[in-house]
Amino acid sequence: MSEEVRTPLIRLEKRSGMDKKKVWAIRVASILVALILGCIPMIISGNNPFSAYGVIIQGSLSRPVYIRQTIKIAIPLLGCALAIAPCFKMRFWNIGAEGQITIGAMCATYFALYWYDKVPHVVLLLIMFLAAVIGGGIWALIPAFFKAKWNTNETLFTLMMNYIAIGIVAWLQGGPWEGRKGSQLIPMFNDAARLPDVFKVHCGWIVVLVLVVLMYIYMNKTKQGYEIAVIGDSVNTARYAGMNVGQIMMRTMFISGAISGLVGFLTVSGANYTLFSGVADGVGFTAITVAWLSQLNSFAMIAISMMLAVLEKGANTLQTRLQVPASISDIITGILLFTMLSCEFFINYRIIFRSRTGKEEKV
Amino acid sequence: MKKTLSVLFVLILACSFVFAGGAGETGTSAAASSDTKTVKVGLICIGDENDQGYTYNFIRGRDEATQMLAEEGINVEWMTIYNIGEDASCIDANIEAAEEGCQIIINNSYGFEPFMLEVVDDYPEIEFISCTNCASVFDGRENTHNAFANIYEGRYIAGVVAGMKLQQMIDEGQIAPEEAVIGYVGAFSFAEVISGFTSYFLGARSVCPSVTMKVMFVGSWSDATAESDAALALIDEGCVMISQHSDNTTPATAAQSRGVFHTGYNNDMTGIAPDASLIGTRIDWGIYFSEAIRNYVNGEPIPQDWCAGMAEGAVVMTPLNEAIAAPGTAEKIAEVEAALADGSLEVFDTSTFTVGGQELTHAFALDTDGDFTADSEEAVYDGAFHESEFQSAPYFTVQIDGIQWLNAAY
Repeated sequence: MSEEVRTPLIRLEKRSGMDKKKVWAIRVASILVALILGCIPMIISGNNPFSAYGVIIQGSLSRPVYIRQTIKIAIPLLGCALAIAPCFKMRFWNIGAEGQITIGAMCATYFALYWYDKVPHVVLLLIMFLAAVIGGGIWALIPAFFKAKWNTNETLFTLMMNYIAIGIVAWLQGGPWEGRKGSQLIPMFNDAARLPDVFKVHCGWIVVLVLVVLMYIYMNKTKQGYEIAVIGDSVNTARYAGMNVGQIMMRTMFISGAISGLVGFLTVSGANYTLFSGVADGVGFTAITVAWLSQLNSFAMIAISMMLAVLEKGANTLQTRLQVPASISDIITGILLFTMLSCEFFINYRIIFRSRTGKEEKV
Repeated sequence: MKKTLSVLFVLILACSFVFAGGAGETGTSAAASSDTKTVKVGLICIGDENDQGYTYNFIRGRDEATQMLAEEGINVEWMTIYNIGEDASCIDANIEAAEEGCQIIINNSYGFEPFMLEVVDDYPEIEFISCTNCASVFDGRENTHNAFANIYEGRYIAGVVAGMKLQQMIDEGQIAPEEAVIGYVGAFSFAEVISGFTSYFLGARSVCPSVTMKVMFVGSWSDATAESDAALALIDEGCVMISQHSDNTTPATAAQSRGVFHTGYNNDMTGIAPDASLIGTRIDWGIYFSEAIRNYVNGEPIPQDWCAGMAEGAVVMTPLNEAIAAPGTAEKIAEVEAALADGSLEVFDTSTFTVGGQELTHAFALDTDGDFTADSEEAVYDGAFHESEFQSAPYFTVQIDGIQWLNAAY
């Protein structure tokens, strides 16, 4: 019997303590690689990649209107990434932000539709805000409760909750809240239920920027933030230290859902002025990417969400100016996200090839 | 962290400088319109031409108008934006079209209008058009417009063609008189749809007295699978003639696969269902587009609420499938067309239908207080319900006897 252990051709080793500068160099490099890879679909669709990227930048940043449109896209992305961050820090995989946004938007919409003539403007907005925050929070609390009580799988649970939320709004849209019969449209909000603009973009941008600071403080400077970090590292350690893990999970999920609900409120009241089943528009999922790419750092999320917003807004212009099909721009965005996320892999792991001499070559 | 952020921003900025020269701004090219007679028009579509139905029909209208205007020396530069949802993305599409220099922006779907109206005040010099909806005409703004055509006339004739086929089948003993059942695939229980299938049914009954109809709503303007499923379900319920108010061709193929007949909407569907599809009807948007654009170029106002019918060529029938249509159909179509044009025939003649056993004597046309229920302008007079007279968008919402709604949830 041979004692020899066969070394595989390629194996992985976990890295630790990589230089911070080097880490960020890899990240920037990955963006460059993504931009180069993104040229392929553009060339295939018969476009000059340079002019295509040019159009993306022009379409998102070249005029005040376009910058405002880009910021409008970035607001929910940033807000939702902030919402997801504490959950992911805790290693609680909340992929239900989509539904939490939808429920928040729905709760705010109720008051926008039926209370707009009953209370003053500012009071109405405050009520909508509270309704959205509480609604989103409770929606997120449900899976957290089941996780804490019976250790259910939160990934599936939160995911399924999305479809329920979207279904409820679709029903409202064609049912009790429908405007003209058969139109499937909920009427546009009265001016009283709309967020005011600040520099011609709805004031949600100020709200999310304040949230960035608050979330940074919460995660890094408070006891609760510390508890979240401990649970994320090891649930057993947390238990040993006497933390009530279930209760912390529920509390964190409530906060997360509440912020998502707030995003829903900002979206219906500031950007869309009405509610429809696609109100979350994939933000709940894209925000996961934003949170992950920024390593759960609130300030980095500003840059990442802006970058994705630039891509999305630019892609629209790409479609209108160069008649590139929308799916091509989706492919480019996909490539970008994929490369950027996979670079995290190379930051965390090192690939080792088996050499002929038996010695290892580290890459 | 600060440093890395600044690196990112510098990178983005650098990109913008490098790439900015790559593509020239196309937005301002149509600025000097009046002397060169070039006009830039935006067309925002809910689908794309691949639907071979609703949006395809608009694209045909677009190309037709371009050709008509080119002969008059007006050059139209189109910016067509496809696959926009009836949601806030429509706001962005309108802003995009406006910023890219469009002078006229046409929204092709009903549900676009409320979102379009959010944008119009920011661009008072741009003309906005909402096809098939009804709020722009009454909103007091100069730069918002509605347009529709009397598609119910075309549907009535399609109904006549279907009725003649059914009567032929009865006469030849293929079906009993009470088996002449039409199955109608509708999008939503919405005025435009109700008006459409009622006129279709009245057309069929004018030549086949024993006909009845079942309507199934699919809850979507465009859902190929659901439309096909609804058609198949209707055929299972005994329907021998299928018609549709939905965007796809799948009801036609469903009818073909089950050996029943079909009449279409938006497009000629005899090509994909040669043994089933008898005829179709569609709005010829080229008539309106050319008129609106011509007016704009000549400095004349675009009509606030445009509506025209078969007499003006705005509603047309697609070619009749002579191989399977009942004999004499073509002659009958010509006869009905003439009667509609000279006013001797009213589609919604109140002596031809009953509501709950009673003749219809009263129905309002317009909603003025915003509660989405019609409350003004009596539409029933001179022995007929006058459709699309007070506004271009249909407002017939009465459920008449002889038509069974299988599901009204939508």
